[in-house]
Amino acid sequence: MTSIDTRASVTIGEVTSPRRTRRGYAPERRRSLLLTVLLWLCVLYFVLPLWWLLVSATKDNSGLFSTFGLWFGGDFSLFENLQTLFTIRGGIFTRWLINTVIYSVASAAGATLLATMAGYAFAKYDFPGSKALFSATLGAIMIPLTALALPTYLLFSNAGLTDTPWAIIIPSLVSPFGVYLMRVYAADAIPTELIEAARVDGAGEFRIFWQVGLRLLGPGLVTVFLFSLVATWNNYFLPLIMLNSSELYPITVGLAQIQAAASAGGGSQALFSTVTTGSFVAVLPLIIAFLFLQRYWQSGLATGGVKG
Amino acid sequence: MRKAPRTALALGSGAVAAALILSGCTPGGGDAGEDAGPITEEQREEALNTETELTFWTWVPDIENEVALFEEKYPAIDVKVENVGQGLPHYQKLRSAIEAGEGAPDVAQVEYQYIPSFVLPESLLDLTPYGAEDIAGDYVDWAWDQVSPGDEVWAVPQDVGPMGNLYREDLLTQAGITEPPATWEEYATAAKAVKDSTGSYISNLGATQAGQMIGFMWQRGVKPFAYDGEDTVSINVNSDEAKEVADYWTGLIQQDLISTDVDFNDQWYQGLASGKYAGWLTAAWGPIFLQGTAEGTSGLWRAAPLPQWEEGEEVAGNWGGSADAVLASSENPIAAYELAKFINNDEESAMKLATEQFLFPPQVSVLEDPAFVDQASEFYGGQEVNKLFSEISETVDTDFQWLPFMDYVYSTYEETMGTVIADKGDISAALDTWQDQLVSYAEDQGFTVE
Amino acid sequence: MSHSPALSAERSSAPPHRHSSTSKRKQNIAAYLFILPFFVVFIAMLIVPLVYSGYLSLFESKLIGGEVFAGLANYVRALQDSAFLASLGRMGLFFIVQVPIMLGLALFFALALDSGRARGARGARLLIFMPYAVPAVVATLMWGYLYGPDFGPIAQIARAVGLGTPEFLSPENILGSMMNIVTWEFVGYNMIILYAALRSIPGELYEAAEIDGAGQFRIAWSVKIPAIRPAILLTVIFSIIGTFQLFAEPSLLNAIAPDAITNSFTPNYYAYNLAFINQELNYAAAIAFLLGIFIAIVSYIVQLSTQQRERRERTTS
Repeated sequence: MTSIDTRASVTIGEVTSPRRTRRGYAPERRRSLLLTVLLWLCVLYFVLPLWWLLVSATKDNSGLFSTFGLWFGGDFSLFENLQTLFTIRGGIFTRWLINTVIYSVASAAGATLLATMAGYAFAKYDFPGSKALFSATLGAIMIPLTALALPTYLLFSNAGLTDTPWAIIIPSLVSPFGVYLMRVYAADAIPTELIEAARVDGAGEFRIFWQVGLRLLGPGLVTVFLFSLVATWNNYFLPLIMLNSSELYPITVGLAQIQAAASAGGGSQALFSTVTTGSFVAVLPLIIAFLFLQRYWQSGLATGGVKG
Repeated sequence: MRKAPRTALALGSGAVAAALILSGCTPGGGDAGEDAGPITEEQREEALNTETELTFWTWVPDIENEVALFEEKYPAIDVKVENVGQGLPHYQKLRSAIEAGEGAPDVAQVEYQYIPSFVLPESLLDLTPYGAEDIAGDYVDWAWDQVSPGDEVWAVPQDVGPMGNLYREDLLTQAGITEPPATWEEYATAAKAVKDSTGSYISNLGATQAGQMIGFMWQRGVKPFAYDGEDTVSINVNSDEAKEVADYWTGLIQQDLISTDVDFNDQWYQGLASGKYAGWLTAAWGPIFLQGTAEGTSGLWRAAPLPQWEEGEEVAGNWGGSADAVLASSENPIAAYELAKFINNDEESAMKLATEQFLFPPQVSVLEDPAFVDQASEFYGGQEVNKLFSEISETVDTDFQWLPFMDYVYSTYEETMGTVIADKGDISAALDTWQDQLVSYAEDQGFTVE
Repeated sequence: MSHSPALSAERSSAPPHRHSSTSKRKQNIAAYLFILPFFVVFIAMLIVPLVYSGYLSLFESKLIGGEVFAGLANYVRALQDSAFLASLGRMGLFFIVQVPIMLGLALFFALALDSGRARGARGARLLIFMPYAVPAVVATLMWGYLYGPDFGPIAQIARAVGLGTPEFLSPENILGSMMNIVTWEFVGYNMIILYAALRSIPGELYEAAEIDGAGQFRIAWSVKIPAIRPAILLTVIFSIIGTFQLFAEPSLLNAIAPDAITNSFTPNYYAYNLAFINQELNYAAAIAFLLGIFIAIVSYIVQLSTQQRERRERTTS
């Protein structure tokens, strides 16, 4: 682990590279050709389906089925596909994208805040009942929520929340894993002496949290945020159950519906190329987010995963 | 009312209200029409001139166009069209909303076979007091039978699916067949000739497609289901006639003359486009659907009636089709009924549905309208396909009933029949399994099974 | 759930007792206020539906005759329900086959990246992790195309090299195909957790061994893997939960292979179908409850066995 003074310099926005946090120097290593080849062969397995998606996004319906799936072929119709995608049903796809972003970012921000506060309290306070409450939090991961769909729906309906964005955002605020991660991270990243010192200076508990705690929790925050973001972005089941108005759909439900419409009777069109292009567009934002925030979540997990 | 447990009390009214709903005392539930007597013309006028918002759940593409006609005629009424999914997902949402006591639409598209499952929990409004009897004569008999099996009228028919045979004329000619097979026997012979000379299957039997199989049974005169509207059902999916149908397909499948691919997925679409299947035994909504799917084979297809069990007979079955029903919970039942009626009964709207969305019409007036029946289709080599299906429509057996739990019937079909068909097994034996499961489910659910 | 070394954070050093009881009380109040928002939502979104489901599971509802109190009848029925037991068994098989493969791969990649012996490790790390960002809906859709027997690229390649057509979507193979989709989705996620754990092992632990000339395999086996055991246990627990709660994959695969995916293919999918298709909400609630209990028991057993192993190792060393 890093020494305290390094850590104190870690603020949100600049993080020391993982290499330096671990060891003072990286010894020159022999590269292993065998390992490299093996690793990259495996990487192919993870990339090829996505490659297929990219290639398919450039094909029209007939090209999708008459040409080899892993290489470009037929007419290059990426732009026609995109045009269809963004104009279909009065341009509802854009709406779905915006909804997805709103739901994910709102849920992730809220979940991160709640998880951070709770995790911090579990890590740094010794209060009656903390053990039991923490165990309950972890136990909650065991509940198969899908199976409780209908009761949940009925309760929401009584509260008048179904078919509103709240039906997606509020349940997504609960992130037991986030609490766990933040607890481990806070225990490690915030020296108790610092808190004690601040108390001696007469700072209130909340001020300590805002000014001392949060500053040191940066990478952990990003990690929890990203994981919650992905969870909400990829959620299919909850919105499927809760939403009726298509203008409120997130992208997952929308795509599944276009796909289902392809098998409709009554003269509908098979929109396979639209579905593949839509899928491609739907995964891009997250991949880009991961790329840009790599450095943060790497170091955020570095403590979370290991502590026993 | 039951006592809610202490924990639930802590939730406040939520669980209690839900428990109330679950025990069936739905608030705002619609006994509205039942004892209100017929609706007078004044009431109708008033309802149609009052500012109202209606919600309409349907998956018909571009139905907004027909709805716009309605809104034009009745400017006071604003209709919100929602597509909440198609088929099962749509019904699941509908049931959830009904159960929750709020969020259900005023008007909903319901396929014929699902009407009884909404009649049973009294979720639909009987439309007779609203004047639905007056339009009974506008529809072909068997379609009206579907929405009004007894004295009540539960919905307004929207489209139907009388079954016929779409086939690739070029492939059949290649196999030396110049006329579409008139009997099932000839069809079996043709299947062999086609397979031998072209390598194509004469058609595909969708392994999990209950609708198609039930359509074949319908044609054979099988009456697999009956429901008295109360608590008595009769289930007879493994009668001798049903087994005759099953044995026929088992034979062809086991000789590898009929494929059993799952239908309506991309592989199957390609099979239609690439000539893997030389034909499709489908419903009246099939021709236009095929046209959008297999553009490359334009001009090679023809349409014919289904092969017959007896030489010289003219009988068809039906596969699919929907009606628009008014929910009992609707707060604006008069306006809701007028919407359901207008969409499917107004001349302009019905014609639009038939010629723009290509829903096959149950309205006699449309079926006789030259603008509809004389349409020559290039995809079918200039054939007047609508005319053919209009003729077929007259040969569909009336009095075909459904059970009030068709979701379960279809899903067990997949489990019992679907797996056997996909495995090229004995379909007759699977009928017995299916029958047993249906009977035991019905008994578990408290029905009297006859 | 039990409190185990694996899932409990290290004891925070208890504040020294020079504080008066008032400041201690202040701190307790602050702590409760910190956890309050989370627990409000937690109770509303998880506990209340759970209690309500538990309540529902004690009733029996029929299409004819409505709802009656049934006590534990639904639970008795579930334990005799061959479809439910078969779905648990299927997931058991899934767990025994897929989870070791997935975690084995994740561990291998994590160690390979950590050893610094492979070229382009950074890029590889990101590419392996990428599928995690793909929604299950899209992943299933994609693999559905790739699996296609007529036009799927895998089948095209297999036919080109004369292997015949692989039937990925047949009832016999669908479980394996689903294992592959889940593996593809989650290897990266588990790899990241393990890799992060590896990065935080103090270098001193094995630099000495490296200088002594111990091979990478030796170091991985005797130093690195034991050091990240808690993280491995964490991934195992998550995998148990994930496996027994599989829902999106079967429900989406059902669209392309309805003959292979039965209504009771996975316990969670079964509960969903019971509620929505069979309209047996009360029975579905009982199934959901049993499933939750089952998952808790399996997780507990796994934890216990690792604890005992650790204890044994401690006494022998």
